[in-house]
Amino acid sequence: MTISAWETYYPTLLRWLATGGGLILLMVALYRILRWFKVKPEAANGYALVLPWILGLLIWNLYPFGRSLYLSFTEYNIFQPPKWVGLSNYVRMFTRDPYFWPSFRLTLSYAALNVPLGLLGSIGVALLLNRPIKGIGIWRTIYYLPAVLPAAAVALLWRWMLSPTSGLINFLLQPVYRLLNVEPLAWYTDSRLVLPAFVIMGMWGVFGANTVILLAGLKNIPKELYEVAEIDGASNWHKFTRVTLPMLSSTMFYNVITGIIGSLQIFTQAFFIPIPRASGTFLNVKIYQEAFSYGRFGYASALAWFLLLVILLLTLLVFRSSSLWVYYEAEKR
Amino acid sequence: MATLPRPATLLPARPAPLFGLRSRHTVATLITYILLAAFSMLVLVPFFFMLSTSLKSEGQLFVWPIVWVPNPIMWENYVRAFTELGKVAPGLSFWRTLGNTLFITVLAMTAELIAVTLVAYGFARFRFPGRDLLFMLMLSTMMLPGIITLIPVFIIWRTLGLIDTYDPLVVGIWFGGGAWAVFMLRQFLLGVPREIEEAAIIDGANTFQIYYQIMLPLVKPALLALGVLIFQGNWNNFMGPLIYLNTPAKFPMVVALKFFQESLSKEAPKWHYMMAMSTVMAAPILALFFAAQRYFIEGLTVGAVKG
Repeated sequence: MTISAWETYYPTLLRWLATGGGLILLMVALYRILRWFKVKPEAANGYALVLPWILGLLIWNLYPFGRSLYLSFTEYNIFQPPKWVGLSNYVRMFTRDPYFWPSFRLTLSYAALNVPLGLLGSIGVALLLNRPIKGIGIWRTIYYLPAVLPAAAVALLWRWMLSPTSGLINFLLQPVYRLLNVEPLAWYTDSRLVLPAFVIMGMWGVFGANTVILLAGLKNIPKELYEVAEIDGASNWHKFTRVTLPMLSSTMFYNVITGIIGSLQIFTQAFFIPIPRASGTFLNVKIYQEAFSYGRFGYASALAWFLLLVILLLTLLVFRSSSLWVYYEAEKR
Repeated sequence: MATLPRPATLLPARPAPLFGLRSRHTVATLITYILLAAFSMLVLVPFFFMLSTSLKSEGQLFVWPIVWVPNPIMWENYVRAFTELGKVAPGLSFWRTLGNTLFITVLAMTAELIAVTLVAYGFARFRFPGRDLLFMLMLSTMMLPGIITLIPVFIIWRTLGLIDTYDPLVVGIWFGGGAWAVFMLRQFLLGVPREIEEAAIIDGANTFQIYYQIMLPLVKPALLALGVLIFQGNWNNFMGPLIYLNTPAKFPMVVALKFFQESLSKEAPKWHYMMAMSTVMAAPILALFFAAQRYFIEGLTVGAVKG
């Protein structure tokens, strides 16, 4: 028994049109009401225009935000109403769940390796691309390709390439294995190698996007700065450390922040690649499993809150440290 | 150059130094090209391997040394992968899953573009009490990990009885869209000179007319950049459809691929089929990327370099 495609599409299509139309009417109505109350036209227009977002903030951000904090203190399987259990979810996370610490360690190490290595690699390539070379468009296209590929495809592709017995990587490494007289590495199936395997895949995936961003940052550096440095007799190394790096630091800062936030939330790739239980899972996958596979919505909320705090803490640290290594032009004036 | 007659009294012409400036420059350029080519191999070889795998027969998959160009070339893999999928997922043909993906992507993209341009216009052009506070609040929502709101939002849709419909993936987007997109578009709108609008206001145009007839055409490149990135995001989105859709016939390609992996490819991985499906899934995005590359790169760099 199958349902036709149209039957599954049109109810959603109708509700989609109704919601969109309703929203526009609501915006007009808000404008009229505000004008009725003698609000200035400019302000009335402004409120009406940002109305969709204010509604979104309330429905999709603020309410769920508070709700998930509440749920993290409850036991909840969505069939019965949530039962308040105090801190017990958090206690369980830190003391009783044998897979929590391995998962946390895996997620954090992944971010700790992926962000700096990815940044170093993409700075290198961006510097190469910034040299006077031909065909910049073609090179940039090639490097950006992996970032366009769906994460699911990236994951499957790398799982296949890192397959222990028949993957491309082990095939290419065969001479090395023979030379060292060791067994081929088992990558995703060896709990010690899960992390490097993920980092390799992660770097391949983000490499291009970071490179393109950094290249735009490099192109943005005024040529005059280099000319002045040359007149002062600066060496290439000096030009790199005293002009390029400081001028690029705010772009690098952006990359580090988005890199940390992104790496800690890796989901799709991790979901497509089964790894040994002993190495834990990435936190986002663990949260998904706790909620949607085991029906522990309260515990999953507690884990999500823990992840949020880790992300906030790390972001704050990077922001705090930014005064040491990020150069903003405005400060000098 | 060397044809100019030299007075005999001058020193003989200096031979070009072996590692002089010019040749050092050439060597550096050469090294640059070699490195760039080497790195691009790292990118391209996996792509080629994906394509090559998708065209192999099952027997050629696990052959060492690796067969790079399959013989025979199994074009039928692309058809068979979806026939196999159809056997375990009733009603899920290639066209159906393509339709599902397009349905989600197009509705979500349209809603987001409309909502985002309206909101960005409001933030960029109108002064109202609390605007800056709201804008800061919006920027801070960018830091919120999506997982934190996931469970309560899931419960909202469940209460509405809309689990296993496309609504959670496309209807909710009317409300606000992505903070990042609003931020980016606002940056563009701030760059539009006010005089243009003022002239229109004097001509008696209302806010909507100004928005639709003046602002939108002016920020068209930004909209295209945003459009391709949102299209890509929705096309590749996995978590949303995974959580909200249960009936296999409703799956978009990414979830169909996961379903295939779980049901048919668990014990003996059918890599040729999975790579064929991955290629099919990636092809439209890659085509879009080649056609609208400029917009991809513009969208990617706008927040990073200026911010």
